Amino acid sequence: MAADSDPESEVFEITDFTTASEWERFVSRVEEVLNDWKLIGNSTGNVPVKKGEYTSGTWGEKSKDINFADFKFLITHYFLKQEAEKDNEKVKQEEDAFPLAMQDLLCMKNDFPPRAHCLVRWYGIREFVVISPGANCEAIISESKCNLLHSSISISLANSGCQVPIFVQVQQKWRRMYTGECQGPSVRTDFEMVHLRKVPSQYNHLSGLLDIFKAKIGYSLSPPPPVNIAIRFTYILQDWQQHSWPQQPPDFDTLLGGEVGGVELGKLPFGACEEPISELHLATTWPHMSEGIVVDNDVYSDLDPLQAPHWSVRVRTAENPQCLLGDLLTEFFKLCCRKESIEEIMGRKLTEDEGKENSDISSALSKLTEPSAAVPIPKLSVSNMMHSARKHIRRHRRVDESPLNTDILNSVLLYLFPDAAMEKSSDNSKNKMPQSNSELDKNSDYNLFLHLKSAPSDSLTYRLALCVCLVNYNHGGLRAVAHLWQEFVLELRYRWENSFLIHGLAGGAPDLRCCLLHQKLQMLNCCIERKRARDESRKTQDGKEKERRVSGGGTQNSSPAPDTSNASASAKELSVGKSWDSWSDSEDEFFECLSDQGEAEAPQAEGEKDGSKSKPEGRLHPHNNMTLLNSSELLYVPITQEPAPMTEDLLEEQSEVLAKLGTSAEGTHLRARMQSACLLSDMESFKAANPGCVLEDFVRWYSPRDYVEEEVVDEKGNKVLKGELSARMKIPGNMWVEAWETARVTPARRQKRLFDDTKEAEKVLHYLAVQKPADLTHHLLPCILHAAILKLKEEELIEDIPSVKKTIQQATSQASKLLHPHSYDYKKLELIVIETVITQARSLKSKFAFSEDEKGEDAGELEKFVSSLLEEPEVVVIGAGQGPAGSIIHRLFVNAQRVGSLKLNFFSSDHYAALLSPLDEDLGPDRKSSGGSKVPDFPPPAGREILLRSCVPRPAPYSKALPQRLFCVLMREEFRLAGAFSSDTSFF
Amino acid sequence: MDEDTLTTLKILIIGESGVGKSSLLLRFTDDTFDPEQAATIGVDFKVKTISVDGNKAKLAIWDTAGQERFRTLTPSYYRGAQGVILVYDVTRRETFTKLDNWLNELETYCTRNDLVKMLVGNKIDKENRELDRAEGLKFARKHSMLFIEASAKTRDGVQCAFEELVEKIIQTPGLWQSENHGRGVQLTDEDAGVATCGGYCSLV
Ligand SMILES: Nc1nc2c(ncn2[C@@H]2O[C@H](COP(=O)(O)OP(=O)(O)OP(=O)(O)O)[C@@H](O)[C@H]2O)c(=O)[nH]1
Ligand SMILES: [Mg+2]
Repeated sequence: MAADSDPESEVFEITDFTTASEWERFVSRVEEVLNDWKLIGNSTGNVPVKKGEYTSGTWGEKSKDINFADFKFLITHYFLKQEAEKDNEKVKQEEDAFPLAMQDLLCMKNDFPPRAHCLVRWYGIREFVVISPGANCEAIISESKCNLLHSSISISLANSGCQVPIFVQVQQKWRRMYTGECQGPSVRTDFEMVHLRKVPSQYNHLSGLLDIFKAKIGYSLSPPPPVNIAIRFTYILQDWQQHSWPQQPPDFDTLLGGEVGGVELGKLPFGACEEPISELHLATTWPHMSEGIVVDNDVYSDLDPLQAPHWSVRVRTAENPQCLLGDLLTEFFKLCCRKESIEEIMGRKLTEDEGKENSDISSALSKLTEPSAAVPIPKLSVSNMMHSARKHIRRHRRVDESPLNTDILNSVLLYLFPDAAMEKSSDNSKNKMPQSNSELDKNSDYNLFLHLKSAPSDSLTYRLALCVCLVNYNHGGLRAVAHLWQEFVLELRYRWENSFLIHGLAGGAPDLRCCLLHQKLQMLNCCIERKRARDESRKTQDGKEKERRVSGGGTQNSSPAPDTSNASASAKELSVGKSWDSWSDSEDEFFECLSDQGEAEAPQAEGEKDGSKSKPEGRLHPHNNMTLLNSSELLYVPITQEPAPMTEDLLEEQSEVLAKLGTSAEGTHLRARMQSACLLSDMESFKAANPGCVLEDFVRWYSPRDYVEEEVVDEKGNKVLKGELSARMKIPGNMWVEAWETARVTPARRQKRLFDDTKEAEKVLHYLAVQKPADLTHHLLPCILHAAILKLKEEELIEDIPSVKKTIQQATSQASKLLHPHSYDYKKLELIVIETVITQARSLKSKFAFSEDEKGEDAGELEKFVSSLLEEPEVVVIGAGQGPAGSIIHRLFVNAQRVGSLKLNFFSSDHYAALLSPLDEDLGPDRKSSGGSKVPDFPPPAGREILLRSCVPRPAPYSKALPQRLFCVLMREEFRLAGAFSSDTSFF
Repeated sequence: MDEDTLTTLKILIIGESGVGKSSLLLRFTDDTFDPEQAATIGVDFKVKTISVDGNKAKLAIWDTAGQERFRTLTPSYYRGAQGVILVYDVTRRETFTKLDNWLNELETYCTRNDLVKMLVGNKIDKENRELDRAEGLKFARKHSMLFIEASAKTRDGVQCAFEELVEKIIQTPGLWQSENHGRGVQLTDEDAGVATCGGYCSLV
């Protein structure tokens, strides 16, 4: 308090004054806020509201904190955003017109809005201000405090001339108790509220409520002004039991060829296992009636829902119903967080025996992957060692303890490697490679594929993803996944060792647009392909040599450019180091995939730096009929080595190494040298193919722009073409010249391999073998998300739900976020929600299924009705109880009622028999719900809303006639009267 | 800004062989022109720190070889790049007509769709122009790129080209703050704005 902190002002009155001023300051703060928000005066242009605008329009909301002493309040302005909001300000109303809020009290265009602030619902107002206790503040409960607050707003309204009603929230928040006030020129409306837990019996019907209303407004005029009545009853349908939910969880334990438990391998399951629609709310409305037309008292009621002129329906959906796809994904995501290695899961025992050898390999390999200098690779007899690996593991694992059932494992493996069933002949394997790339480009889902960086949907990787997902979900979780992966890697090793290509992978270098795992598999296939080519050329060499190119590649064209559609490949070996000669360092294996004429007896020309005297070797074809500069020999394009295929992690590693060399000139030089293995190899091949050639010849083929030709006139006066190397090629000691001088005369066939397939294959296999299940999950995540989105799209297509189309779009972008490392917040994954929405639509469709005999137009109408149920908060039932949708809803209620009473009277056999007979047919539209002793068609309403309105002079009979309104809510555990009573403040 | 809060931007220079990519880069980083610039083998790499609008950025620039035989390697450098400079030679039309191929490759291999692209017409100091400014401009507009003409030799437009590119990258939300793996657009959180008072309610 100011008085306490200020020692000089110890006067009693000042303390007193401070107390008073807190209140005054609160009042003036409220006024300030009203001022800021421009709610002062008769500012609101009178824009008429349209019917239903409270629901279809948008509502605005502005908030501010204000304090009363140290008590925090939140003041909020709610308003309907109307189009012509401020333009019409000139069309001012007459000076003494009622405030807008008072007019709204009587307006009948927006009764019972499906979604609105409760004050809008109760009072029909389009604009108001609410002061409520701040977030963590206690409620205003004591009467004196309530009164104090109420008088504060009265004063603020009076001082500011604000005509927007202000409410104060009192009592506990959940009770939604407000008291408020609206002021206009010599008129005032008080908003009052009663809230009880039970409906008092004398007010449990229209006539009782009318009595209250009349008493409150001092209804003593004669003739009495009419009271307008609007009524809405809400019925809840919860019991769908007679509508058995069609989708049963698939029986995962059965196994039929190609199918695992009803879910075909390669397909994702879909659908809800439980009813996704929990409730249906039917609101029956009697929009405006006058007193006397309808009777509703303690003994009798006219209010038969079937006869209500207006029906509307809303559905309430179950929270997180169990859905198959969602479950599957969730379980899969959980794998991401598992820390165990395959070894830990499958037991150390299994791998113990190979342990020693394994560690040998891995350390050797880790040296290999170090980009430093050349590592001499010891001759690993890996193949021998691994040959027996499969049997080995099988032997160690007794059948009963294998985590994945053998039958399932076999059918999964067969699905992944369909060619295994056939003879593993080398002939048929090649032409069966799917051309996924070209297919993809045409596909409309190409973007999705790029976006997620997954893999083609017919690829091995993609199928593996589906299997891992399914195995995880249904066949043993983590352990089964580990088992499957182990088998998968063994199969790959088997294929590598026996030179069988892996099916379901596009040929060529790894496709960098795909996920890393897919690239690794492609890499392995590249290795197998090279190995096969080598083996083959050895075989043919043993026989008779034919000129034949074995390895698929792009050297066919005259330019040295390799096929650029191949994702990427690189001729560069990290281990090249600084030496020209160390660029292939494994065994003494040569790039032997080609066999051309005459090489058997070809003298070893290595070491001869200019091949002028040697025989040409390794020619592919002449190059544009050019001749060599120093002879009349044709210039030949040589057969060259394929550049080494690379996966993105290798490339990344390489670029890191290159970047580390720094930005100095020296670094640049070193970098160029490290990357020049391919250049050198091409030069050597060129020299072998073109004996007597010079660097200019090579440049003319390899980099034609660096050979500049000019027409000059020679001494005899003839025009001749004179060419020379470009300036940059002529720099003494530049890399090209240096390489040219180093290059020996060696055809590609006898060069050391640029790409060591043996080493690369072992690296890939090792990489795969050490992946933990969690790593595997990460690798496969893009494919799974891809598959899930495709599945959702497919299912949506059947149902055609516009909102879902939009969400799928959003979910797709959200899904790619999941691929970030460290963000596995899959719990909020939109994909799962979409599945739920689709199943909701499905459930509704089955409930509102139209039978064959129903007319076509009805079917169309029903379809529209069902789709709006999911899109809109509340849907009007055309034709109310008599329309096609209405009669179905009626039937649903009747059936539920029967089941309900069946439960009650289970042991009363008469009832039981009677109820078993089909009843659906005899439900004529004119059947009365109150008919006889039978079970009523509808349960008692869950809620009744009764709205009473009149225009009556208050407080005295000679006062102005002013809008009066009482909104009554009657529910099982709530009774609320929300009254707005206006009075004339000048004539009373 | 201190060193560790410095943003590193990855920039890529591509285009046909001999258009002057390495020369442009050398002009930018060392402000020199070396007529004896050797043809690039594979990729080369340079770093430079610049400050644009008070934002300091460290540029890691990859200069790729235009020579076709080396091109198989370059797509891997497209990954994660925030900006790319596409160079053609204004005195050689075929370097301009090949731009479509380069754009295709870019489309296929870059990992983000909000990557900033700049088109540079180089060697404007030379007499024998085959392409006028308007043609370059038209191409750039068609493919939503930045455009500038430059000369690595006379330094015209070089500094400006790099600065513009960086500025644009910095202005592009989500491009430089964090490594965004996917090409996805940011999702806005749409579930905000539900009244706290439990106000928007139906009867039951
Ligand atoms: N007159 C002139 N010559 C230039 C200009 N820029 C580059 N050059 C010359 O053009 C030739 C090729 O330049 P580089 O920078 O090596 O070309 P590049 O694009 O890096 O070529 P690659 O590395 O093969 O892809 C060199 O001889 C340069 O001196 C320029 O702006 N004006
Ligand atoms: Mg260069």
